[in-house]
Amino acid sequence: MSDASLPLTPPSRQPQPGAPDNWRRFFSFSTDHKVIGIQYIVLAFFFFLFGGLLAMVMRGELITPDSDLVDRTVYNGLFTMHGTIMLFMWTFPMLNGLANYLVPLMIGARDMAFPRLNAVAFWLVPIFGVILIISFFVPGGPSQSGWWAYPPVSLQNPTGNLINGQSLWLLAVALSGVSSIMGAVNIVTTIVRMRAPGMGWFKMPAFCWTVLSAQIIQLFGLPALTAGAVMLLLDLTVGTSFFEPSRGGDPVLYQHFFWFYSHPAVYVIILPIFGVFSEVFPVYARKPLFGYKVVAVSSLIITGLSGIVWVHHMFASGTPGWMRMLFMFTTMAISVPTGIKVFAWVATIWGGKLRLTTSMLFGLGGLTMFLFAGITGIMLASAPFDIHVNNTYFVVGHFHYVINGAVVMGFYAAIYHWFPKMTGRMYYEGLGKLHFALTFIGLNLNFLPMHPLGLQGMPRRVASYDPEFAFWNVLASLGAFLLGVSTLPFILNMLSSWVRGETAKDNPWRAIGLEWLIASPPPHENFEQIPIILSAPYGYGSDEPLTANDPTKELASEPSES
Amino acid sequence: MNRRTLLILVGLAIADLLISLWIGQQAYHWMPPQASAEALLVDHLFSFMTTLGSFIFLGVMGTLLYAVLFQRAAKYDTSDGPAIEGNVKLEVVWTAIPIVLVIWIATVSYQTYDRMGILGGMGPMAMGMPMAEAASVAPTEAEPAPINVYARQWAWEFHYPDPDIRSTELHLPVDQRARLLLSSEDVLHGFFIPAFRVKQDVVPGRDISFEFTPIRKGRYRLRDSEYSGTYFAANQTDVVVESAEDYQQWLATAVATPPFAAQNVAYEEFNQETQSALDLGWETVKPAPAPVVNYASSENDPHE
Amino acid sequence: MNPANLDPALEAQVIQETAHEEDHRMFGFIIFLLSESIIFISFFVGYTVYKTSVTDWLPAGVAGLEVHEPLINTIVLVSSSFIIYLAERCLHRDNLWGFRAFWLLTMAMGSYFLYGQAVEWMSLPFGFKSGVFGGTFYLLTGFHGLHVLTGVLLQSIMLTRSFIPNNYSGGEFGVAATSIFWHFVDVIWIVLFMLIYVWQ
Repeated sequence: MSDASLPLTPPSRQPQPGAPDNWRRFFSFSTDHKVIGIQYIVLAFFFFLFGGLLAMVMRGELITPDSDLVDRTVYNGLFTMHGTIMLFMWTFPMLNGLANYLVPLMIGARDMAFPRLNAVAFWLVPIFGVILIISFFVPGGPSQSGWWAYPPVSLQNPTGNLINGQSLWLLAVALSGVSSIMGAVNIVTTIVRMRAPGMGWFKMPAFCWTVLSAQIIQLFGLPALTAGAVMLLLDLTVGTSFFEPSRGGDPVLYQHFFWFYSHPAVYVIILPIFGVFSEVFPVYARKPLFGYKVVAVSSLIITGLSGIVWVHHMFASGTPGWMRMLFMFTTMAISVPTGIKVFAWVATIWGGKLRLTTSMLFGLGGLTMFLFAGITGIMLASAPFDIHVNNTYFVVGHFHYVINGAVVMGFYAAIYHWFPKMTGRMYYEGLGKLHFALTFIGLNLNFLPMHPLGLQGMPRRVASYDPEFAFWNVLASLGAFLLGVSTLPFILNMLSSWVRGETAKDNPWRAIGLEWLIASPPPHENFEQIPIILSAPYGYGSDEPLTANDPTKELASEPSES
Repeated sequence: MNRRTLLILVGLAIADLLISLWIGQQAYHWMPPQASAEALLVDHLFSFMTTLGSFIFLGVMGTLLYAVLFQRAAKYDTSDGPAIEGNVKLEVVWTAIPIVLVIWIATVSYQTYDRMGILGGMGPMAMGMPMAEAASVAPTEAEPAPINVYARQWAWEFHYPDPDIRSTELHLPVDQRARLLLSSEDVLHGFFIPAFRVKQDVVPGRDISFEFTPIRKGRYRLRDSEYSGTYFAANQTDVVVESAEDYQQWLATAVATPPFAAQNVAYEEFNQETQSALDLGWETVKPAPAPVVNYASSENDPHE
Repeated sequence: MNPANLDPALEAQVIQETAHEEDHRMFGFIIFLLSESIIFISFFVGYTVYKTSVTDWLPAGVAGLEVHEPLINTIVLVSSSFIIYLAERCLHRDNLWGFRAFWLLTMAMGSYFLYGQAVEWMSLPFGFKSGVFGGTFYLLTGFHGLHVLTGVLLQSIMLTRSFIPNNYSGGEFGVAATSIFWHFVDVIWIVLFMLIYVWQ
């Protein structure tokens, strides 16, 4: 490397150097954060398609009121695995992929703090992915207790086997937890300890703030789920009775363990997407992120509040009145920092010079969907209203607006935005816009009808329903199929662009940020010399340089003026 | 900001408000019939939140849409927008507005919940205080014993203690506070009557007191709202709200009827060949036999 | 920039390169332990909820837990925390044999604790299927015991590595981390002892 002239010889940064510089490296135990990032994203997207396929079979069943397409057990397995795969195999790995790829570039580091741990965390993902897929083929099928795995249903185990869908499910979730904790330790350490000189907290891009906030949630939330999952597994396999009411257990306690993590998990998912919005809007509006510091800090406030809201999932459960009221207030409080962000994005866009690239369109689409979901979210926080719509399709519609609307659209915004950086190629703008149009229409056609259904009282997780719900269900099913089709132009675009797209410049969007100062795709270990940060991010409209040195130049040949 | 822009802004805000108020009124029509005193309260709350939500949504979307339509960069314009990094006054305002809104919504919600007073104690594991205030509609005389609601995989059964009747259809007299005691014999279930806007998980190992006031005659759906396994979706029955005389009449008829096995979708479906295209033969918990009752509901009865 | 530009640039490289894994490992390890502690806290909260809400808490025929033997066990485990500190001090002063002696003593005390725990388990009149009480008791003590076992295994690895020449010339992360882990396991035990044995 270039710094052979340094007084201190660095310890070997790459524990496993010499990963081949071609497509094969994506199948190797590479420790390069950029390779791992892309590995995460591609693998996660594969599971996204798989989970989507399961959803389309479900919507096929729901296009008619009767339970006719698949058996009820199959339907129950489908929605359980759809939820599980979308959360544990798609959103978490996908966001870890984005964080892995972007965080070291954005903070001016050569790699993550623990490259080997990083690779191990990644390679656990295909392992528990395979376990989940295997669970389809064990006697009795996969888990059919929903992704919450509420006991006592999850403890019923009609096959009587030790190896059953539910125990495999718990094993996979446990491994996912291990992988996520490894990732969280790594990412938090990287952000706290490895920022380039000069990059104080308030010179760090908003994306890194949101990733940090999200990963802190993993650190304090996941162990609670692990505790609940261990107790559930013991109940299921060795015959303890923690959650078995017939033998003195308390099934509601499991719900507390589960939601103490799984509600904040929603913020683990949405926060980095907030970060993507904060990165994308300034670039294509040519304006600084409005109220950057407040936006940055509000991520941490969301993290703090996320730990004290979980009971809102249990308003209709075995919770007393005082608990319902208390958690109603805390839940509503979380809309304040979130609202700050939304207003800040709107103010960022306002009065700018907008360029509606595919990335910007997805960003704006995601923001729209999120705004809608945020409003239904506050409604759901209101306990008396939630008692009516709790466990109905209103909730399903709400969280799909968050997860498929805001998160998936935010993911697409990120991919289109950083695709030239990741691959060194440009994507096809026309296909991208087609992809956006199909996705946006498909999403709304799929999930908007779920709101009237829920208000009318259609419970979620049903394989059959009363005929009066047929109209909206047909619409939703058509939307789901359209949504499935919408991924085709994306896949086509990505594959063909990666292979033979136009070569991308280092900074095709004229964006400000460390990752845009270096080559596309970035070289191994990113920076020839570690950049020294001078100014806050998002300096659009001002002439202040971002760094004091040129990170693409070798240090030895560095002239002594800026 | 000059006077003209101010006027335009005020005009737009008023337009936004009017449209939102209209949408808020529409919200009542998105709900099932208002068959209980609680439904009036919940629908009012929903309309209120829909109004506020629409106001915010339309305001923000209008702003965004205007920017997208009219603030685009010209094709060869590579210049940046104004370097505005923030505005403390504006940021204080839009932090304060959500805080005020949230406190407002939370207060209205709290009052609504308080007036509903649907949840009583929770059996042997009671942790909470009983809700004090009953709904205003219900004049309570001597409190009759509650109706026992048994939820199981997958049937609903209602046991009237006086006279001793079992039924798979819940009959309630109109305009009287209905008192129920919810219990489950196996897994979690959810007691949900959309037309009443009430819902409560039925937790095995606990007896949960639950109450509400039906105010409109008719037959409504009662659904299982907490996922309870294979035949969860089929675990539905009807609630009939009728006049006090009809109710007494029904009780009398039921007492005179000897118990018989009710219609039960789960049990029947389990015992017949599957009609689904895709059945992988995955094992299921066996449904409990159809309840033996004095009065049974029929899936063919029309409901609202 | 000023003419001294090269210096901060150079410094930047040095900071990033030297501070690489070595320094970050301790930071990462501590946040991992903080995260790990939440599992225990969750179990403790679960235990407290059960204890205060379950009607038939103790299984039939069980009057309570014997405190005497576990108290001795507790004293041994807690004092081992001081011994491991002494071991670390010796290592700081390059007294390798002193380190090994105290380190071995810590391991012996940890092993004694595990032995004591096993003896207690054998003699108990209830099993993990004996209601929620039995379940939580074995879960808490078992999960903690697993951590003690991990600690002893880590210690034996560190002890073995102390015989590799110049192993500790580049810092002693492994020893420091093991030691912190050991203190962590101790603190958890104190809370656990209070909850299960003292609060009956």
